Amino acid sequence: MQRLAGMGRVLIGATLFAAAAAIAVPVAETDFWQPKDSKDQEAYVNEPMPPGVKVVPTELDGPLFATAEGKTLYTWPLRGLRNGNAGDRHKSGVATCDDKIYRETSGLMSPYPGGFLLPDADTRKSCEQRWPPFLAPKDAQEVGKWTVVKRTNGQSQWAYDGYPVYTSDLDRKPGDVLGGSRRGTGGESGAQRVPVGPPPDVPPELAVVDSRTGRMLTDHKGYSVYFSDADEPGKSNCYGDCLETWNPVLAPLTAKPQGEWTILERSPGIRQWVYRGRPLYTYIPEERGRILGSDVPGWHNVYTQRSLLPPAEFTVQDSRIGQVLADSRGHTLYVYNCNDDAIDQQSCNHPSEPQEYRLAICGNFDPKVCRETFPYVPASAGARADSELWTVVTIDQDTGRFAEPGQPNAVQVWAYRDRPVYTYHGDLKPGDANGDSFGEFNGARNGFKAFWIRDDFRNNVFGR
Amino acid sequence: MVRECKGRVATMAGVAAAGALLGAAAGAATLQEGGSPLRNGTIAYVLTDRYWSVYETEKGATECPKGFNDGPREQFQQLYSDGKKRSIVEAQLKREGKQWHPTDDPEAFPFLEAQGSVSYGLNLDGKVDANDFESPEGEPGIDNQLFRAIGCIAGFRKGGSHYHFDNLFMRSYNDTRIVLELTGVDDLVNDADVTVRTWRGSDNLLTDASGEAFIPGGTQRVDLRWGQDYVNELKGRIVDGYLITDPIDHITFPWGFTFDTTGVQVFRGMQFKLKLSPTNADGLLAGFVDVHGFIHRLNTHLSTHHQSYGQISSPSLYRAMSRLADGYPDPKSGRNTAISSSVEVKFVQVFLQKPAKRRQLTMRK
Repeated sequence: MQRLAGMGRVLIGATLFAAAAAIAVPVAETDFWQPKDSKDQEAYVNEPMPPGVKVVPTELDGPLFATAEGKTLYTWPLRGLRNGNAGDRHKSGVATCDDKIYRETSGLMSPYPGGFLLPDADTRKSCEQRWPPFLAPKDAQEVGKWTVVKRTNGQSQWAYDGYPVYTSDLDRKPGDVLGGSRRGTGGESGAQRVPVGPPPDVPPELAVVDSRTGRMLTDHKGYSVYFSDADEPGKSNCYGDCLETWNPVLAPLTAKPQGEWTILERSPGIRQWVYRGRPLYTYIPEERGRILGSDVPGWHNVYTQRSLLPPAEFTVQDSRIGQVLADSRGHTLYVYNCNDDAIDQQSCNHPSEPQEYRLAICGNFDPKVCRETFPYVPASAGARADSELWTVVTIDQDTGRFAEPGQPNAVQVWAYRDRPVYTYHGDLKPGDANGDSFGEFNGARNGFKAFWIRDDFRNNVFGR
Repeated sequence: MVRECKGRVATMAGVAAAGALLGAAAGAATLQEGGSPLRNGTIAYVLTDRYWSVYETEKGATECPKGFNDGPREQFQQLYSDGKKRSIVEAQLKREGKQWHPTDDPEAFPFLEAQGSVSYGLNLDGKVDANDFESPEGEPGIDNQLFRAIGCIAGFRKGGSHYHFDNLFMRSYNDTRIVLELTGVDDLVNDADVTVRTWRGSDNLLTDASGEAFIPGGTQRVDLRWGQDYVNELKGRIVDGYLITDPIDHITFPWGFTFDTTGVQVFRGMQFKLKLSPTNADGLLAGFVDVHGFIHRLNTHLSTHHQSYGQISSPSLYRAMSRLADGYPDPKSGRNTAISSSVEVKFVQVFLQKPAKRRQLTMRK
């Protein structure tokens, strides 16, 4: 057939719709992050802990448990995969991460059968080498939520809240949380490790959810919580018409002030929670899991803590479901996710891990195609961000592994949580996110996801 | 011979002046009949169903006499079930590499194209050619080469995985809410000149108590904040109850499905033909889809796992679509880059709620 030459009376309202000018908003002019000098840090419930365990503050995941040396602690909760489960079963008393070296795929990841050799079959470490168990002394006594499980080799291992506890070989210095994130990647990302910490010190009527940029307060049903600029410390000015749109987060009569939490009495017997001096509300028109109330002038979401500013050259762009973090040109940034299909579900998204997965997706094993399809984001030597989550790393752009500066093919690129970030060649204008979900299982298992920092429709910001 | 369309008159997402446009609608011809949703010459509909058109006969007897295509699972088994020990790089990742970087290189698998001369679709070029179909009603010149490519893939047929998931998730997530607004309508049966605007809505679909059937009279808030790419204007006419729009050279629809995906589908030379009533608008959305773009959307929304449900091998489908492509030739190679297609669509009437003016600032300082 032939395609039309003259398309007839196609009418496009070029005069009616002026082209929307993309506005590249520097990250420093947005309020997604907390300033470097901010003291905001999430308070937590002091729980009894075994000797040698401490709580350390972390930038993205809040307070976490760590060893005496500062190594972050993780659990590996059992997770249903397409063809079975992987991870530690709750309160089973068994740690499944042992010294066995798995050299073949398990077939847990549909549609591919198991029994194929893994890329690192000859050099692969065991699960316990990647995730050293946090051992307990032989005479360890259970304390609070901390219990002891016996490993197959007879060693004792600490467990928290029913799950054995491990450290990660990716964490190099105290405060590193490179083995996983509380936020996770959601969907079909595999059975991932999750850093563990004490419960946040919030009243039962409230909760903390993990997001891409910090720890956000919601009510216990998952509705976002807000504060108003019009209020005064410990005093609400939201009455009358204001209450048509905003619901005070009510405190029960039995509630008592504690730490950063106080209570104001709106009228006799009607009490409202106040956090850090700010009365709290939910936004009545809003669905669960949204932050639309923050668009109302003078109203803001509430975070126990937020990450610090990413590289100052980055921008924030409006996109089709919200906003994305972008480079200085406005090109959307992408993170690469990867978890392998062995029984012990090792990650493969870090430059120290097998690169065959990424190379298959971004370039059909051709590094040059990879660099063209998902280019690294160049960084100048010595560049720093306020946020410790963002660093400059040296990468061999052919192998994708860490390299030494000056080494042939070495480039210095921006990395998020020690993993390079990318742009996508198919993004033609600022705010495009056409590389989103590129890869196995919509980019969650072996592929790329856009760096969403606001999502008004889906769940890309809040993860699991 | 394939000719190139001159001058892309395409979409605009501009929204700065949308407020003025919205205001202008109020000045259109006045028509209101009792409780009719046609008010001030305006009526709107929201999409509830979308199915890539496949003309099916019983068990595919006519269009798929040799049966149906294999999918990723079957192809994988054919390639790697010889007992030889292989690495994941030689098998799974090799298949995934081909999935994300498809080529026209020959493959070992046969591909079954849909046979027959009948297809749903529209005459997109105004001509009757040898490769064209005839519509079930007997109209010649139907352009829908995509049917040849997908007609014998189970996932695209009634109840198949793509057929199912495309709609399940479209209904579940409001970022895929496609809204049509007709203005300048004097008569829903015959009107020589109407204007059709596309928007993205923001709200759940209104259903009856069963939750299964969509009912008219709901409200959709127009999304002028994130939905700028989906704002378009088309001209059309209503003939004997059918809305027929003029082709629009480039139009983007939100087309995300499955979890946390955000994709779009771009059509070239797109037209609507919809049977209108005060409560519904059902018919066809037809146009050319870019071969790469279609496969990209397919892969980013349906994992290989989900494609396996419906025997959809995207590398094989890519080859077929490239072979059957019939529009928008590459200026250098002369090779067609897009394929004619048709989507069966159903809309239900809604009332639109538009923002008084678009938010100019999206960032809070």
